[in-house]
Amino acid sequence: MRSQRGYGILSCLAALAVIAVLLVSVGVVTHHSAQAAGKTLSIIIDTEADRADEAEIIATYLRSIGVEAEVRIWEWSALKERLLAGERQLCLSDWGSAYFDPFDLVIPKLGTSDRGNYSGYSNTELDKLLSQVQMTADQSERKEAYFKAQKIIFEDAPWIFGYALKETEAARGEITNWQPAMDSRMNLHDVGLTRGDTIIVGMKADKIITLDPAMYRDRDTETVLRNMFDGLVTRTWDGKVVPEIAESWTIPSDDVYIFKIRKDVKFHNGKTLDADDVLFTFERILEDGAIAGQSSPRKGLLGPLEAVEKIDQYTVKFTLANPFPIFPQALVHFQIVPKDYIEKVGDTEFAAKPVGAGPFKFKEGRLDDQVVMERFDEYYGGSREIPPAGVAPAKRAIFRMMPEATVRVAALKAGEVHIIQQLPPDLAKTLAADKNIQVKSVDGTRVYCVELNCQKPPFDDVRVRRAMNYAVDWDAILTSIYGGNGVRLACAFLPSGFGFDPGLAPYPYDPGKAKALLREAGYSVK
Amino acid sequence: MTRTQVQVTERIIAAIPIMLGVVIFAFLFMRMIPGDPVDIMMGEAGGVTLEEMDFLRAQFDLDKPLLVQLTRYLGKLARGDMGYSIQRARPVKEVILEAVPATIELALFSLLLALVVGIPLGIASARYQNSVIDRFGMTASFLGISMPAFWLGIIGIIVFSLRLGWFPTSGRIAYGMEPATVTGLLTLDALITGDTQALRESLRHLALPAITLGAGVAAVVARVTRSSMLEALKTDYVLFAKAKGVPELIIVVRHALRNALIPTVTVVGLQMGTLLGGNMIVETIFGWPGLGRIVVDAIFSRDYPLVQAAVMVYALTFVVINLVTDILYTYLNPKMTL
Amino acid sequence: MSVNIERADDIKRHVWGSEAYPLERPFPRTYRRPWSKLQSAWDILLKLRNHPGAIVGGLVILTYVVCAVFAPYIAPYSPDQVALTERFVAPSLANAHPLGTDQLGRDILSRVMYGARVSILVGVLTIAISMAVGVGLGLIAGYYQGVFDKVMSRFTDLLLAFPYLIFVIGMMSVLGPGFWNLILALCFKGWVEFYRLARAEVMSQKTCEYVEAARALGRSDGAIMISEILPNIVHSILVLGTLRMGNMIVMESSLSFLGLGVPPRIPAWGSMVSDGRRYMLNAWWVATLPGLALVILVLAINLVGEGLRDVLDPRLQEGQ
Repeated sequence: MRSQRGYGILSCLAALAVIAVLLVSVGVVTHHSAQAAGKTLSIIIDTEADRADEAEIIATYLRSIGVEAEVRIWEWSALKERLLAGERQLCLSDWGSAYFDPFDLVIPKLGTSDRGNYSGYSNTELDKLLSQVQMTADQSERKEAYFKAQKIIFEDAPWIFGYALKETEAARGEITNWQPAMDSRMNLHDVGLTRGDTIIVGMKADKIITLDPAMYRDRDTETVLRNMFDGLVTRTWDGKVVPEIAESWTIPSDDVYIFKIRKDVKFHNGKTLDADDVLFTFERILEDGAIAGQSSPRKGLLGPLEAVEKIDQYTVKFTLANPFPIFPQALVHFQIVPKDYIEKVGDTEFAAKPVGAGPFKFKEGRLDDQVVMERFDEYYGGSREIPPAGVAPAKRAIFRMMPEATVRVAALKAGEVHIIQQLPPDLAKTLAADKNIQVKSVDGTRVYCVELNCQKPPFDDVRVRRAMNYAVDWDAILTSIYGGNGVRLACAFLPSGFGFDPGLAPYPYDPGKAKALLREAGYSVK
Repeated sequence: MTRTQVQVTERIIAAIPIMLGVVIFAFLFMRMIPGDPVDIMMGEAGGVTLEEMDFLRAQFDLDKPLLVQLTRYLGKLARGDMGYSIQRARPVKEVILEAVPATIELALFSLLLALVVGIPLGIASARYQNSVIDRFGMTASFLGISMPAFWLGIIGIIVFSLRLGWFPTSGRIAYGMEPATVTGLLTLDALITGDTQALRESLRHLALPAITLGAGVAAVVARVTRSSMLEALKTDYVLFAKAKGVPELIIVVRHALRNALIPTVTVVGLQMGTLLGGNMIVETIFGWPGLGRIVVDAIFSRDYPLVQAAVMVYALTFVVINLVTDILYTYLNPKMTL
Repeated sequence: MSVNIERADDIKRHVWGSEAYPLERPFPRTYRRPWSKLQSAWDILLKLRNHPGAIVGGLVILTYVVCAVFAPYIAPYSPDQVALTERFVAPSLANAHPLGTDQLGRDILSRVMYGARVSILVGVLTIAISMAVGVGLGLIAGYYQGVFDKVMSRFTDLLLAFPYLIFVIGMMSVLGPGFWNLILALCFKGWVEFYRLARAEVMSQKTCEYVEAARALGRSDGAIMISEILPNIVHSILVLGTLRMGNMIVMESSLSFLGLGVPPRIPAWGSMVSDGRRYMLNAWWVATLPGLALVILVLAINLVGEGLRDVLDPRLQEGQ
């Protein structure tokens, strides 16, 4: 009896020992001897789940020079709040720029306490330059300011500067005249097909926000909506602004834009589009609470726009509070809505049954499932500068939400969809052999980087920040996990954007230099 | 009123504070989670002024003290107004009503599958106790209990969608195939309107998610049926019937099964809650446009009103199913009281 | 899971989801089993001899534990050793990576071995904590009943009615990722079942003669609860704990799957499956193999749980 009880106690002890060993091994109960050595740089790399692989590689590079690095995966919103509070050390992040100008990239990301500035970076000289580019219309002056800004940012190294990825899309062989756009908007008006009459697009989003062009703020929604609505101007796939509904525009002074509107544009309900509709579209966005008691979240995108006036039935005048040279780029993202229809049926009904002047008209759909459109046969033809003009070749267009890349690819192979967004490089390889499928890439407009917390040690020391930049071999990362589908960036600017300095070379991969800098800053290295 | 009726009424009244508690808890809980819904809504485009953000915040009452927000929310709720979804810019009620049929359809089919597989398996295992069938059935059911849904779902996609191409990888039905809407449940609508093509299509889409979700339930059903069947086969009246020379099939089906099904029914009722509430991961994997996927997304985008409403729907379902199960339980076993 | 079924046997039936307890059978709660008479671990092991399933399960668990504890010595590679030139090596006994490599060229076998650490720890710790909290509160509520019991019952009703996954996702966002945060989030609701079972068992034991006798002898409430009642209910609690351990491991991996689990330095099976999901088309093994490891462990735990139930639950033994 006694000996049996003894076994029980023994096995309990053994179990406890196993648990203790496991706890220590998992690193939950850490012994802080490393800290006692004092000099080892020990950091936590924060990331969202979809870039965890990359974070893991960066950590490997850092470990190889003697930095203790650990990756932590976060849910983005929870991480962001902590980033903005300055509680984290370094994090992988990315930011898109839609205006082909650093206006919506560098200012929110690096302006002192701006909303996208997760690194807590602040440089008064840079702030001055950034306000200068917003206030002046002189492009050469702006360019010069941007060049100066790039030098400053490069030297200060608030981030581990990363890369811009190419956007890769794929389509089935029967799709013709298809070209992915740099701003990842998709205009099916131009796309033809040699078989069938329906184009089905596999979207990377799991939902779009709304069918009301005044109520969204994301690219995915715009990708769908721009097929039902046209704007005053539009963009070619490589970023040039060209007239769409507008006939032409003039800029009598730096802060006034006058747009002539085409007279042959019809809405899906048969009404002709004129200045009143344009006026209504913008007033609806500018005025607080104008959309069924809600306010449009798009107001800020219009920059300093102060007033919109009707000059005659087909002429509209925009007055700005200060010069804003990228105003036409901004207007690309504003789709014209029909005044009479919305006033008649109300905003809620409009969002349920939208009517626009685009190449396709809304048929039916669910925002988190699929949106179905049919060809608008009285379409005015679209921008004259993006041929072909005329009604769309496809009779029907369907946008289907397929957030899983694997699912999109499988559906494309099976012919369930005709075009897919965002093809991951590892899967692109599996499609390369398929003769029925075409894959195309285009330079992206999104900056990927690692932001360093410049407010707190260790990254308040510029030497440590530069050391980080020397320590990571981005080219290896780009070739291995991104299939060579990216461009190294020297700084926070995109090659496709205005004012990019091609002369600025990225930090090279130089672990020796990284170690030297770290040693200089007082850390022990390998 | 009979005693049962009184008890049912009592139970319904008792459910009210629970529901209220759930609503308040969901409300406070969501606000504890870091993250700003307005900021998420604004995405990352530049040029957002702080005033603009404040205005939007005010629009959703997010600038008011917590207590004021809560009282306003409860007040609206009492009038049947679930609020306005921040992310989707639509009334929450619409969003939820649109998603519920998909969730119900998936849950019903999983349940049907579980019964069709589980009950015969349980009966066969009991009738041929310790035989190969029994061993196989119980091993399978053990597997069913031990397999995480997300893994089973992925295996299903790899094998049946990607390799064999039998089933689609996601969605509810292909475009142009939908039957005319009657109930919102596509299969039922297709049956009612006699649209065989729509029926086939929606079943093809349903197959993988329903198997993934139903596997665990089928396992439980099989085990319960087996053991209650074993007991039932040993009862006096079954032995008596056997002695009288009644054909075996009739004994099993008519006499034993009837009694053996009582525990099964109870367990099925309890599993229904799992089916309706445990579908978030399955819906996410298969891109099934139901409530589970919406609510996971809503949490990540901090869409407070939508999450609160979804939690309420889940909790209500849970309470109702429990009530029904308990009533059924009492009905089947008059000796029990609620 | 049910809100209102309160008899211990009914709780067991739907919690365990398996063997039926005949509904009309009366409560035979007359035995008395103080701590000194409790079956020792050795006795239980001896009895489990007759359950082949439990033996197999036990051996599997043992293997996993050995792998987990000695992973640094057994595993062929370090779990976070990135090798960008060896991405997506297919599994084959002939090559250096029997289970293949993942998207970063890490050895899946090594990662699965290290991953066992997380799963085993999460399983054991969450159950231990849930059990301690649940049984403690259940004893008090069941013994004294009254206001405390009422309040606790409403509270647990509320917890059960609140969708678990929403709750855990929220918790992980509030607390941030981390091992202990994960344990906390899992325990927050895990204790409820133990509470309910303990409470129901205590309520049925309370009226037994041995409790009355102890009370008559003037023993304190605390002493009665711990040295008289607890030994009589500890077996069913143990069985519930074993059967629930599998669920906790599955829950942990589901969270890792959603990207809300432990930090990635510690490989977890769920996050491996989640990573592999993106490569289902070109590398099926990345997602499936870690999941298989998980299924086998949970299966083994359930087998042992089943065996324990047969051995330990006196009610079922009487029925046989």
